[in-house]
Amino acid sequence: MGRDVLILAEHLEGKLAPSTLELVAKGRELAAQSGGAVKAALLGHGAGALAQSLADHGLEVLHADDPALSDYTDGGYEQALQALLGALAPRLLLIAHTSQGYDVAPGIAGRMDLPLVTNAVDVRLEGDRLVATRRLLNEKIQGQFEFASDRTFVVTLRPGSVKPAGLASGGKVSIVPVAVDPSRLRTKCLGLERPQVADIDLSSADIIVSAGRGIQKKENLPLIEDFAKLVGGVVGASRPLTDMEWLPKTRQVGQSGKTVRPKLYVACGISGAMQHVAGMKDSGLIVAINTDPSAPIFEIAHVGIVANVLQLLPAVIKELKS
Amino acid sequence: MPLNLVVCLKQIPNPDLQFSVTPDGRDIRREGLNYKINGSDEYALEEAVRLKEKNGGRVVAVTVGPKRAESILREALAKGADEAVRVAYDDPAAFDVGKVARILAAAVKTLPHDLVLTGVQSDDYSNSATGGLVAGILGLPHVSVVTKVQVQGDGLQAWSELEGGLQRRYSVGLPALLSIQFGANTPRYAPLPAIMKAARVPIKEIAPAALGLASWEAVALPYAFAVRGLAPPAAKGHAEFIPGPVEEQAKKLAQLLREKGFVRR
Repeated sequence: MGRDVLILAEHLEGKLAPSTLELVAKGRELAAQSGGAVKAALLGHGAGALAQSLADHGLEVLHADDPALSDYTDGGYEQALQALLGALAPRLLLIAHTSQGYDVAPGIAGRMDLPLVTNAVDVRLEGDRLVATRRLLNEKIQGQFEFASDRTFVVTLRPGSVKPAGLASGGKVSIVPVAVDPSRLRTKCLGLERPQVADIDLSSADIIVSAGRGIQKKENLPLIEDFAKLVGGVVGASRPLTDMEWLPKTRQVGQSGKTVRPKLYVACGISGAMQHVAGMKDSGLIVAINTDPSAPIFEIAHVGIVANVLQLLPAVIKELKS
Repeated sequence: MPLNLVVCLKQIPNPDLQFSVTPDGRDIRREGLNYKINGSDEYALEEAVRLKEKNGGRVVAVTVGPKRAESILREALAKGADEAVRVAYDDPAAFDVGKVARILAAAVKTLPHDLVLTGVQSDDYSNSATGGLVAGILGLPHVSVVTKVQVQGDGLQAWSELEGGLQRRYSVGLPALLSIQFGANTPRYAPLPAIMKAARVPIKEIAPAALGLASWEAVALPYAFAVRGLAPPAAKGHAEFIPGPVEEQAKKLAQLLREKGFVRR
């Protein structure tokens, strides 16, 4: 068993995912605990410049180039990672808990019979043990879970859990010969599709008033709209509301929707699941209104109001109009 | 093309409840909790039933869990599953997703399967790991966070949701596993006669012996797992709360919005 920590770089259309630099930071911390080095695996095709830009953060980037790796597929990545893990036997493989991470991390752990922990907000090594901190049950419970193994730990780290690594010297790109056998690939990527935008662009709004399940009925949306109008804002939503089609998909704030950074964000009846918080936590001023004082939204809000939004907003509108 | 569909379901405590931790810190207090079918699993079930209705075939609903989990299997039967299987792993907490997935994979292996469906994540432990693990263990191609699926030739087309609303479109050979995203479809309500009929359908039970195991403790794992402890999370941030009755809170908020220049009049 080696001591290195291998991170898996995620990239799309020639850009590194922001979470990759968070993995570099966390990987460095873990490598110090294991007594090895942090290295990155960048799987792709014609992505040499990207590999170099990652190496500019002060780590060795193992770059595997193969036409079958030009888009993410489970099979291509699993073949490449199997070869890399076989050669390197790292102490730990660190992957971002993103849509792609949900697929590749358990896939490789299942295929290679490796210990796996996902969606960790923190992780550390203690000898042959890995201790992961995870959030459960709508963020209401935090747990520490211990895994003892002499095999490579596969870990996914929740985006936003650590500060991304900055530029640093000492990095380099090493080309690793990894051949993917295309005849074994059962999944093929046919292309990327973008949602049709015929609606306002939330990400350019200065003020967003978002509604969540706490508004209870679609009929209460005009209340949110009235308030948004008074503060010169637009209406956003948490995932359940767009799933129920109370508002179009373009209004969804969160990991699977828009990432926004307005000057003012008012969360109305939103509990603050990580899915949502990931898309708005960097807003200038966050005001949260929720009946549950233990709702996780209050952890990231600057101003909290424990109240029923359906009672509070009419009173606020009255105040603002007087 | 008729499909043998297996849909994996999980019973979870209603996540809107308040939770507290047992004195030994190893589990949540479970007395008085009410349980339900996991959110995204409802969409996986609906997708399975729709694929059957369109292409022919059978839907088998599987869960790994204690006796109480039979209620979600009855729900699945009422909504169109043809057969229900409970893998009788009785650990009420089941924090070790790797162990549950290995048990589930062993059970799925005993069932005919062209397509295995799971929800994208469980709303209690939020691992998003079960589907990928089962696929990896069984050597199935897999696509996660799927919002749309169509039979195409002798395989499938599946749309996978990425961050920011982008979708990747894949072709996938069968047999395969897909994890289904929230909102992928509109789950149906079960009609009353179907609910009554489902109540009488026998549920098949899989014990360790049926999977060639002496006991659930005999599941081979590449690691030793332990719960170190559970606790309410230490509040990271600290919203400054506006106290008082609603009128008071409204007045303060309006004042704050004015002071910060967010009011246009």
